[in-house]
Amino acid sequence: MKIPAFALFERSLRVETRAPMMSWVRAGLLIMILFILLPIQSMARMGVYAAPGLHFLEEMAWVNFVFITLAGLSYFASAITEEKEEMMLGLLRMTDLSPVAILLGKSTSRLVGALLLLVVQVPFVLLAVTLGGVGLSQIAAAYATLLAYLFLVSNLALLFSVAFRNTSTAAGVTLGVLLFFLLAHFWLANLLQNSGWPTGIHARGGISSVPYKFVDLWRQATPSDRLGTIFETGFTGPVISFQVLSNLVIGVLLFFVSWMVFEPCTREEKENAPGGRWRIGPKTRQSRIPRGLIGSKAISWKEFTFTSGGRIGLLIKFGVAGVLILFCNVFFQELGQNLDREFEGGLLIWISILATAIFLALDAGRIFREEIRWKTLSSLVTLPISIPELAYRKVAGALAGTLPVLIGAIIGIALIPKDVGDFLSDVFGDTAGTFGFIFAILQFILFLHLTAFLSLVIKRGAMPLAIAIQYLGGSFLMTFMGMLFFRGGADGAAAMLIIAALFCVTMTVILHLAIGRRLADVAAQE
Amino acid sequence: MSDNQPTIEIRDLHHAYKRQQAVRGISFTVDRGAIHGFVGPNGAGKTTTLKILATLLKPQRGRVRVFGLDVGANYKDVRRKTGFMPDHFSLYRQMTVQEYLDFFAAAYGMNLQERTRVVGDVLALTDMESRRNEMIKGLSRGMQQRISLARVLVHDPALLLLDEPASGLDPRARIELMEIIRELQRMGKTIFISSHILSELALLCDSVTILDRGTVRYSGPISGLHQRDGDTGDYLLSLAEDHPGVEATLRSVSGVIEVTKPANAPQYRVTFRKKETDLNLLLRAALDGGAQVLGFQENLRQLNQAFMDLTEPGVPPVMMDAAKAAPPPAPNPGGAA
Repeated sequence: MKIPAFALFERSLRVETRAPMMSWVRAGLLIMILFILLPIQSMARMGVYAAPGLHFLEEMAWVNFVFITLAGLSYFASAITEEKEEMMLGLLRMTDLSPVAILLGKSTSRLVGALLLLVVQVPFVLLAVTLGGVGLSQIAAAYATLLAYLFLVSNLALLFSVAFRNTSTAAGVTLGVLLFFLLAHFWLANLLQNSGWPTGIHARGGISSVPYKFVDLWRQATPSDRLGTIFETGFTGPVISFQVLSNLVIGVLLFFVSWMVFEPCTREEKENAPGGRWRIGPKTRQSRIPRGLIGSKAISWKEFTFTSGGRIGLLIKFGVAGVLILFCNVFFQELGQNLDREFEGGLLIWISILATAIFLALDAGRIFREEIRWKTLSSLVTLPISIPELAYRKVAGALAGTLPVLIGAIIGIALIPKDVGDFLSDVFGDTAGTFGFIFAILQFILFLHLTAFLSLVIKRGAMPLAIAIQYLGGSFLMTFMGMLFFRGGADGAAAMLIIAALFCVTMTVILHLAIGRRLADVAAQE
Repeated sequence: MSDNQPTIEIRDLHHAYKRQQAVRGISFTVDRGAIHGFVGPNGAGKTTTLKILATLLKPQRGRVRVFGLDVGANYKDVRRKTGFMPDHFSLYRQMTVQEYLDFFAAAYGMNLQERTRVVGDVLALTDMESRRNEMIKGLSRGMQQRISLARVLVHDPALLLLDEPASGLDPRARIELMEIIRELQRMGKTIFISSHILSELALLCDSVTILDRGTVRYSGPISGLHQRDGDTGDYLLSLAEDHPGVEATLRSVSGVIEVTKPANAPQYRVTFRKKETDLNLLLRAALDGGAQVLGFQENLRQLNQAFMDLTEPGVPPVMMDAAKAAPPPAPNPGGAA
């Protein structure tokens, strides 16, 4: 007899297991293992690595760590919000399914699928022992760490998926909390040390040692710290560490909190209109359309105002970049960094570029997806303009809402013109450097195209999937060409980068055309 | 474009999705200024045809012309002359009503002055002026449908393609929408309307095309559908109150085939051979029998019956020239939305 609480769970598990996407993910996983393994083995033969097995395990673990974090932002964070967005949660709640059955069915089934993806790697990763430099206990400890972290991430994302109305908010908050969990203990430890709080022998056993112990436990609970320990040569620690136990316990607690808040958070079904999250929208308002807006510029205006968040969104983006700069200032000051003009200039440049890149990637995933979600593409496509023009106008609007963040970089350049000049002459001083720089930019443009294209094909998770595909594709390309050009020295490296750059351009052009075609198809299918 | 040229001209249109043939060589025309109904069961190929007319899909075979322009080659010109309202809400819910319409007006290249006038006009036409500053997401389904219709009108298209415009609307909203559509016809617009609500189409349309499994089963004036089963007339006699003798009186009239009384209403359905009797004779018989007649009209349910007959497997298609339909009201060239 089936237990009602598990009915949805069982069904979801069946669907997830049989889904063609899962087969592709498994295939991708195997390819990834192969591409991590191949260069390490080649390097080991040449005597570059003393412990190739450890390198292999380390790379596998960090790649998994990144993918688990990305999965938390899309796969797990959409568990409940996808039902809210499609106005289906109310119907689910009207059935005999209890909140726990819905949580198990919608989230735990995804967790089981992801756990299986991790577990299935273990036999392959055991090859690390054959390669040498690593013990079985290290492999077991690394995978226990990842499994516990996965459990934590899935339940953290589940909580926000229950609490928030749309996936992007749930994903954003999950990312924020995860970053805080993974990084804030560094800052707190340095803050304590520099604040004059009694340390060392004076604090031992006393009440004043509590903050230190807390920060230390926090550090130990992070998978990044634990993986660092595992990959130290001569690791002999236990497989089940404090990190594993704490992550599992916190995961269970988060699941229970999700269960507790499920009813109050989902009692009312509310429509989830896009574009409103940057502002608190009144029920009525005067038109915001500028007087001189004519023709296809209107599409750019709409994109700037609603997809990119408009002026308020731009202010928020500046705010995010500002907070990052502030955080880095505090963090590096605690580490004893001299906060001089050079440091501030460099920080402004890099943070502005990084923030712009992140916002552009987010825009790429949303720019067409929102139109599909609200079935508005057919209205736009029937305007008397071509689809490429429509797409470029949309892109222009999104760029207008994000590129001003680069003002920070311009200020940074103005602060340290000489350093920037030196950096550029270093980069463009030799052919390999020049092509390396061009290749990096081309890769990012390719990534934006891939994200935009995937957002037209899959419902959610376009950006994480684009990262995964690009990582696998990049690994394949660089491994393959590395083997071809390894003996060529500096010229070989330059040749390799030129071919890689050409490959990027070709793929970008193909995706560019495919986006136009896909837009027409999607508009016709609405 | 000459006045005699049809607004829509479809010849031997084929369209398939992978191996699924959605439209199999359909041909029909729609006259200028007409309200043309487009009906058929689910999967008949209606939406595919509408999307081809709206330039969202390219015709794979055959010829599709709108105002004499090929929809594939002249898609931009066709888009300027047509307004397409899909069967779903295609609204930016985070905008206000005014912003939404203003946005599309701007996208069609209008300056501020034109936009202000046009948005005011379409809001007045759809009776949405009082809602102009409200967020779209807060409006009812009926209101959202009006906004969709208003959006279609902002660039003053001469042809409106409406896909299931009344679906999901309450009776009042449906009636109001029909009134707006009639008003648009009076302005000289040609309206191509796909719907499942046959009784409303019968009241609204000048001509109709019935599609089934990708082929046209009938295309021509609405009146042609009633005549389709040949010599038989089907009318509904409504009385002020039940009159027991009227049934027998009507039966006694020569040519009457059947008189039935629908339950719980002082009404009689009279089926008769047109060659043997006429409406005047029947009406006189009822009045002479002492009945107090409130109405005597053709039974509009006949359209449902015709639809069922035509979409039955094995029934040969009936093609009539739509141009022979009752002439539509004279177009108003100066009519603007």
